[in-house]
Amino acid sequence: MRPLTDRENRIVRFAVAGVVIYLALFYGGRLLAKKRSDYRQLAAEAQTLRRQIQPFQDKVLVVKKLMDDFHMDPAKLKKETVVSDASAAIQQAAKAGGLQLGPIRESPSHGSGNALATVQLEGSGPVPAVLTFLASLNRIGFPVVVDSAQFTSDKSRPGQVKLNLTIIILDFEQTKSPEAPHA
Amino acid sequence: MKKIAFLHPPPLYVEIGQGSLKALQENDGVELPLERLPDGRLTAPCREKLTVALKRFLKTKSWQPRARAVCAIGARGVSLRRLSLPAGTKEEFQQRLLLQIEGEFPLPPDELAWGWQQLGETKPLNGMMARQDLLVAAVKKEVVADYHEILRACGTDPVFTLAALARRNLCPQPPDSFAMLDIGNSQSELTLFEKGVPASSRIIFWGGENLSDATKDKLDELTQSINGNLAGRKLFITGQKISEAFTARLASALGNGCQCERLEVAAGGAVAQASRRCLSEAPVSSQSGNSPAGRLCHYECSAAISGLQKFTEQGGEPPLLLRLEQTSGAAASFADLDWKKWGTRIGSLVAALVLLPYAEALLLKPHLAKKVAAFKAEVVRLKVIDRELDFLRYLKSSQPPYLDTLYIFSKSVPPGTKFDALSLNSHGEVSLRCAFHDGQQVADFRTKLIDSGFFTNVTVEEQVPTPDHQRVSVRISAQEKPTAQLLALAVGPTADEIARDGKPAQPGAMPPGISRPAPGVLPAPRKETK
Repeated sequence: MRPLTDRENRIVRFAVAGVVIYLALFYGGRLLAKKRSDYRQLAAEAQTLRRQIQPFQDKVLVVKKLMDDFHMDPAKLKKETVVSDASAAIQQAAKAGGLQLGPIRESPSHGSGNALATVQLEGSGPVPAVLTFLASLNRIGFPVVVDSAQFTSDKSRPGQVKLNLTIIILDFEQTKSPEAPHA
Repeated sequence: MKKIAFLHPPPLYVEIGQGSLKALQENDGVELPLERLPDGRLTAPCREKLTVALKRFLKTKSWQPRARAVCAIGARGVSLRRLSLPAGTKEEFQQRLLLQIEGEFPLPPDELAWGWQQLGETKPLNGMMARQDLLVAAVKKEVVADYHEILRACGTDPVFTLAALARRNLCPQPPDSFAMLDIGNSQSELTLFEKGVPASSRIIFWGGENLSDATKDKLDELTQSINGNLAGRKLFITGQKISEAFTARLASALGNGCQCERLEVAAGGAVAQASRRCLSEAPVSSQSGNSPAGRLCHYECSAAISGLQKFTEQGGEPPLLLRLEQTSGAAASFADLDWKKWGTRIGSLVAALVLLPYAEALLLKPHLAKKVAAFKAEVVRLKVIDRELDFLRYLKSSQPPYLDTLYIFSKSVPPGTKFDALSLNSHGEVSLRCAFHDGQQVADFRTKLIDSGFFTNVTVEEQVPTPDHQRVSVRISAQEKPTAQLLALAVGPTADEIARDGKPAQPGAMPPGISRPAPGVLPAPRKETK
């Protein structure tokens, strides 16, 4: 085979360079286009997630306010102990207000409903103590709702009021949709 | 506005003599030998070597604008004329000036690099037109064009003036008429000044090497060359290695009342300390073209360069600039555009524009992926937040308004009413058993409960007089409105009531708006404020 002339050598070199550049542009371009497409997809996903998260900033503020109002963090409540803890807290609040407690009956909830247990409580004391106790029930740090309250005058002790309360301890894990009790 | 230093390169000062080109930029100086053709133009090899050497000296950055090169050219080939033109509009003046130049100089204006300086204005007198006196300097265009081309190729923007004018700028307080002698190595330059402007300038073929050892004959040779023009004038002498003794000897040799004074060149310390890169020790034309470059040696700055520096320090330009083209600045600058450079810049910008989205994808994808992962982790937490919010809202809406109900009762009940039993439940059902003084009180109480807007209905289920007919026992039932409607009601003590009660409620005290009841009475009535 005859040796290539300088001109032919140069042509071959240019041709090889041209092919390499073409391949680099072709495959490199496709690779770059794919990377860009992936990036745009990721950016769109980030945007969607961002939009999803944005309203929660307000929700977090509301949750914080409600937790402050109720002195309660639902995440820290344990289903196993919440009834006993809530019962103890109710009795503590009653004593702190100057209410003399009578019989207390606890009955667990059976099956359906949002209640974990019901506590029936009797007590007596001066009107201010009763009202203070009622007012403090939603700040004891447990999810309790007064289902019914009955006030009767204590004829044997003037100035005293007998109180009969039915308190529901709510199941914070089951409660999903809020619905006012007599809405 | 103050210029940003690194964006604007310092000016370059150049003196172009017959045999050498001296350049100074900041504290760096260079002296390059020149080789000329018989017509005074530079030889082609000299131009090439000069371009290379100056480029190496300047180290121009491609992104910087062109440095201004203020060049002083020698008197060789320069013609000076004083002209007087009638005043007129700018266009008229320009036309007249061109005609005058064509008449006064041997070459047409198109073949000249020329400039003018206004000397004064003659006011109209006795019906004569006002006139303008001008000094016009001109030189063959090709000579200056060569310098211009070389300096442009080195990335500078050159302007040209006369070396004599630059040197004159060094004279502290020159008299009206004086002369300046610049002594070079092989030839000297004598310029006569009338009323502060150059009247004539010529080359004297007398070199100033070994001036201290100059023989009387040599000095006489110089004296004969210049003596005729200097009677009674002051002669400023510039040049390298000029001593006071030489000045005194020359004054004595002239002997025509001429006062000789040596001009101090190294007025600025920076200039005195400037270093020189001897890019070529031998003339460019010699065989030792590849002489050592970049070698530093002592550099004594020339008077012309010092004068040019002084112009810049004074914030101005030389009064007479020699222009190749008498066109507007904008047109000139557009014509002088470096298309290759600008093309490269535009190409780079377009390439950046095309590649930027891809670069963004490559560079920012990891960062974005991290962000998305963080968002996804947050989304899991959102469910918890949602659940907690639902629960807390449910808890809040489930709280029956017992205290509000009691407050309404306390506001509505007449004094002396005895409550036997009161029951409330979470369904909003209220039942009440109590004793009033008479039926009217019962009716009033009922009306007030209805007016409070808190109840949908109030029913007096039973109303029975006591056996002693002193009281009326009553059983009342009522139904509270739904929670949503109750929330809209402003139940509770008003601001006035709170203010009247004074201090906020203490622990164990009655809620605001409810006063302490009488023993056995639930709760105590308040005085009606309606």
